[in-house]
Amino acid sequence: MPGSQVLLDRVSRSHGGTQILREVSLQVAPGELVALTGPSGSGKTTLLQLIGSLDRPTTGSIYVDDIPVHSLRRPASFRRDVVGFVFQLHHLLPALTVQENVELTLVAAHVSRRERHARAQELLDEVGLRQRSHALPSDLSGGERQRVAIARALAGRPRLILADEPTGSLDSAASERIWKLLLSVRERHGTTILVASHDPNLREHSDRGLSIIDGQLSEPSLTPTADADRNRHNQEIA
Amino acid sequence: MTTVLQTLAALRRRPLRTFLTALGTALGIATIVALLAVAGGAQRTAGKFLNLGSSDLGVFQRDAADPTTSVLPVSLVAQLRATPGIASATPIILIVGGIKHQPAAFVFGAQQHSFVTNRYVFTAGHMFGGSHQAVVGSGLAADMHLRTGDALTVAHHRFHITGIYHMGVAQQDDGAVIPLTDAQKITGKIGEATTLAVSLNSITSRTQGVRIITRRFPGLLVIGDGVSAARAGVNGQMLAHLSLVLAVIALVIGGIGVMNTMLMAVVERRAEFALMSAVGWSGPQIATRVMIEGITTAVLGAALGLLIGILGAHLLVRLLGAQEYVAPAITAWVLGRALLVGVLLGVLGGLYPAWRAARVSPAQVLAQR
Ligand SMILES: Nc1ncnc2c1ncn2[C@@H]1O[C@H](COP(=O)(O)OP(=O)(O)OP(=O)(O)O)[C@@H](O)[C@H]1O
Ligand SMILES: [Mg+2]
Repeated sequence: MPGSQVLLDRVSRSHGGTQILREVSLQVAPGELVALTGPSGSGKTTLLQLIGSLDRPTTGSIYVDDIPVHSLRRPASFRRDVVGFVFQLHHLLPALTVQENVELTLVAAHVSRRERHARAQELLDEVGLRQRSHALPSDLSGGERQRVAIARALAGRPRLILADEPTGSLDSAASERIWKLLLSVRERHGTTILVASHDPNLREHSDRGLSIIDGQLSEPSLTPTADADRNRHNQEIA
Repeated sequence: MTTVLQTLAALRRRPLRTFLTALGTALGIATIVALLAVAGGAQRTAGKFLNLGSSDLGVFQRDAADPTTSVLPVSLVAQLRATPGIASATPIILIVGGIKHQPAAFVFGAQQHSFVTNRYVFTAGHMFGGSHQAVVGSGLAADMHLRTGDALTVAHHRFHITGIYHMGVAQQDDGAVIPLTDAQKITGKIGEATTLAVSLNSITSRTQGVRIITRRFPGLLVIGDGVSAARAGVNGQMLAHLSLVLAVIALVIGGIGVMNTMLMAVVERRAEFALMSAVGWSGPQIATRVMIEGITTAVLGAALGLLIGILGAHLLVRLLGAQEYVAPAITAWVLGRALLVGVLLGVLGGLYPAWRAARVSPAQVLAQR
């Protein structure tokens, strides 16, 4: 399944008068791996949440393929069928086993029990945790948990993966493993991947880097003084 | 099915919270079971005031406050006997609290030869033959260490015990029977009775008998079984109403308890529901899961509550010192109702928390750190 195309047109998001994102326009081509960087509080999480339909823009439009994400009335099926999320925190449900966590999306999608098991086993194999299928999250290390979270994000065979600081709490070896995993997914499935991260290693793996400062998007290759044109520039497919 | 299994597994992995939630339900259910059982028991025992056989009826004064305060003229006996369908009728006086230190013992005043007294089975001695003689039930005799030939004092009057009987019915065996005329003098009800026991002929059913008597004697209350006996009295009625009110209160408290515990669980687990929502669970799917969890926990609680309730009912009766009057009636119907209430509590108590869980906004929750 090819990756999704993502299109943002002058997307703004405010919370109680404060603008968190200002007129962000962006185009991501299918199969691209985009690194999103920026200081804390600049709006990275907010942007990923808007694209993944967890939040709605105050103004502007967001299209993932031809789906108008900004105005979805029932976003659940979009999240289930199109997007795979990896969060920095709150990765796993503590009362469910590793395997059940991976199957979570598939339960919502009414995938048969047998199919769910097969897919979960395959994915846990891929992230090197097949042996831990029946463990509870509390029995895993941080790196292992994040790998389970990635396996879960992949379970629904998403066209778009949104990862919010997936290596934020991991050491460099564990982080490297996560990046390898995401790269191999992109390699094999052509999945589009947006990653928000401070991790300098991400830059070398990604096709393209974007940075957000104070809710405004820029391509770091451009000079910081670049004017409004840069948004239009960003829209060109890399 | 998967959801139920997963829910059960998840509940098992959170034993403490599951137990506490279940306990909340359990206490509500326990209260209901205990009250229903005691009320049911009281209704059942009321029917045993008189040892009515399957073809017998008791008639009381319709507007009496309580079966024990009913007053009827003995002259009614002849009228009843002349009524078609009725084989026999006999006056009975009921004396409550007539025996010192035995507040629960009833003393019956009855004619020496009647269809009621003829049923008595004597384990010692024989039926009284005249004034100031009494026969004593086996239970009361054992309690008071009485034997034939001993004296029994009823409301300051001495009676000579001529026999000990055993009927296998608590109210009767824990009481005594004295001649009707003596009882009338003691109570000041000359020519009167508390109740008239009526025996129907072999071709008249109880229902028919009740209908015949009620039509002919509108001032009479006809009692065919325990339930209507309890309804007959204001006390019984009050007990029934009180237990209903208490059951409703218990239900509300139980429901609020379940809702509160589940709401706390939902609030505490907002991040979990946010995550489920983020990975594609729809609102209804999340709500369903919460409901299933609530119902499962409530049913577990109901089972626990049944146990506590049954123990509690016996304890309650003993604490009130009412074991003479009331044996808790733990029937399948009482248990079934309690279980039903448990499920209902789970549904009602789970609705609002489920709604809340379904509306958790993933963006807000998952952005928190
Ligand atoms: N629900 C909200 N209400 C008010 N302000 C909010 C809300 N959500 C986010 N913000 C604000 O929006 C800004 C951007 O937040 P966001 O989480 O997107 O930043 P970030 O780039 O992901 O930061 P970090 O690197 O720390 O994760 C912050 O100043 C934050 O306080
Ligand atoms: Mg963030």
